[in-house]
Amino acid sequence: MTKIYGIGENQVKALDDATFSIGQGEFVLIVGSSGSGKSTLLNMIGLLDRPTKGKVFIDGIDTTKLDDNKISSFRNKKLGFIFQFSNLLTDLTVLENVLLPRQIGGTNGSSEKDARELLKSVGLESQLNKRANKISGGQAQRVAIARGLINHPSVVLADEPTGNLDSVTSGIIIQLMKSMAKKLNQTFIIVTHEPEHFGDVDKIITIKDGRALEGNHLREEEIIA
Amino acid sequence: MSMEYRLRLAKRMLFNKKGSLIGAVLAVTIGILVIHVNFVIFQGLFDAIVRDISNYRNGDILVTDEADYIDKSDLALANWFERIPFVQGATPRLSSSAEINMTKNGKLIEETRVPVVGVDPYRDVKASTAHETVAEGTYILNRNSVVLGNNVASDLGNAQVGESLKMLIVDRYGEDQVRRFTVAGIVKSPGGQGLDYSVVMHIDTLRDMMAREGESGSFMVKLNDPTKAFEVKEFFLAAYPNDDFIAETIEESAEEQLAGFRSGIAMINLIGYFGMMSSAFAIVTIQMMLVNGKTREIGVMRSIGAKRKDILIIFIFQGMIIGAIGAGVGTAAGLGYTIYAKETKMSFMNSIPLEVNYNWEKIIQTALLSFTLAIIASLYPSYRATKLLPVEAMRTV
Repeated sequence: MTKIYGIGENQVKALDDATFSIGQGEFVLIVGSSGSGKSTLLNMIGLLDRPTKGKVFIDGIDTTKLDDNKISSFRNKKLGFIFQFSNLLTDLTVLENVLLPRQIGGTNGSSEKDARELLKSVGLESQLNKRANKISGGQAQRVAIARGLINHPSVVLADEPTGNLDSVTSGIIIQLMKSMAKKLNQTFIIVTHEPEHFGDVDKIITIKDGRALEGNHLREEEIIA
Repeated sequence: MSMEYRLRLAKRMLFNKKGSLIGAVLAVTIGILVIHVNFVIFQGLFDAIVRDISNYRNGDILVTDEADYIDKSDLALANWFERIPFVQGATPRLSSSAEINMTKNGKLIEETRVPVVGVDPYRDVKASTAHETVAEGTYILNRNSVVLGNNVASDLGNAQVGESLKMLIVDRYGEDQVRRFTVAGIVKSPGGQGLDYSVVMHIDTLRDMMAREGESGSFMVKLNDPTKAFEVKEFFLAAYPNDDFIAETIEESAEEQLAGFRSGIAMINLIGYFGMMSSAFAIVTIQMMLVNGKTREIGVMRSIGAKRKDILIIFIFQGMIIGAIGAGVGTAAGLGYTIYAKETKMSFMNSIPLEVNYNWEKIIQTALLSFTLAIIASLYPSYRATKLLPVEAMRTV
């Protein structure tokens, strides 16, 4: 896919024919220097923005053909998001934040039970009814992980999920994501500028000058274009 | 997203921004309060003037004759009216003007062109409350006494009860008729709306002086139920098809005095509604602030699947909540003020006491209007909220 911002002389090519594929259950890092286009790439995969050219297939569906409403439903059902600042809704409790994707999707069947189980698995069973702004940054990020997983999405996308945390908490969050990925056979795509903290992963996609280099280590090995 | 959940989110987001909520509710409340205060004061003043004109001068129905004077007997007309159950009383009135001389402390005081009202003391108390305005002495006692309006007494060098005065009236033939009277009482009404500028005397005495034996200038009819005025008037006119009677309800007979006031009230109401519009603009501003303060949350909700419609409805719900609370608080505050004005018989600087009524139709209409305006005011901020891109949530803050 290609993404161009601006028009005329002010055009900036954020992504330049970046092409790659990710399989079910893979734990993938997107790395690159600042301004290389990794967050832009994540926005395209997360359907938060549309590519200028090219296509994004998720579960075999060409998402570029979906209209705004269908994209919203698709994001709700197929994608989970973890943001750098956790971005919990401070008006809601921890439990309500985890339940939010279910409420938005209108699927409430066993939601509360699932949310409680997820919160238990991220070690927050005692914080369920606390307001989201009353918990620590590390706890908030764990809530965000639970929220990202509640709808059993095809892909969980994380943008610098440890960027705002100290090294100890970062380590806990990384381990949590890896264990959840393994336990649930869940695909994770993580944008990070600290890949070394993640240890062994299934794949690393390096973005350089808007192009994607795919590999399973930190060296730029192969350009897929 | 279910409606119930949208409402829950709207409430939660709004109630956690107490400052904005209070500001927006206050804007609606003040808008409603302005309308209520305007209504209590200006409509109250208007109704008070109508009340006083009705009580002191015109009754609920005023009967006159095209030929200036009614020549039918008092008894015949009063009996005709008083057999109708809605009628409280009917009384004849006769008007003229006089020149009055009075000697006070050896000094002659002369007043000209003083209005004189002739009343039937027996019937008048049933149809008018003029007798209730007696501040000193009594109402008309006999044919040789008069009651002075407070202003007339003042102009006559503070005339007192028991003093005598000389009155000159020109009769129908142009002859001067002079008589001496004793002051039986002095009337004073709130705001001077009663007979404060007149001299009141027995109608038969005035008839004598004017050489209008058995004639009346008007017939004042007071009803138990003023809403039946039109019905009674029509009934009366139908009963006397061959006479030249003119019968008018209070609205018709006082129209000249009230017309200017009526347009003034319309203007004041308009200003009130402009005030309400200002409240709507305040709501737009406050809600825009709310939307701007929730950019990140809106982005997050959009990124995890909330549709534009969901965001739109959440913020419209906020407008509805603001409108509902504001309308409730504003109406309660307005009603509180209305009750206070009614119970205390509010007046300004001892002037005419306001005639305060609970106009439920207007109260409900005002509340609904402000509620609707709050919703309309929330449309633009809600629309703006839907325009926020989910990618906002991914940006660092």
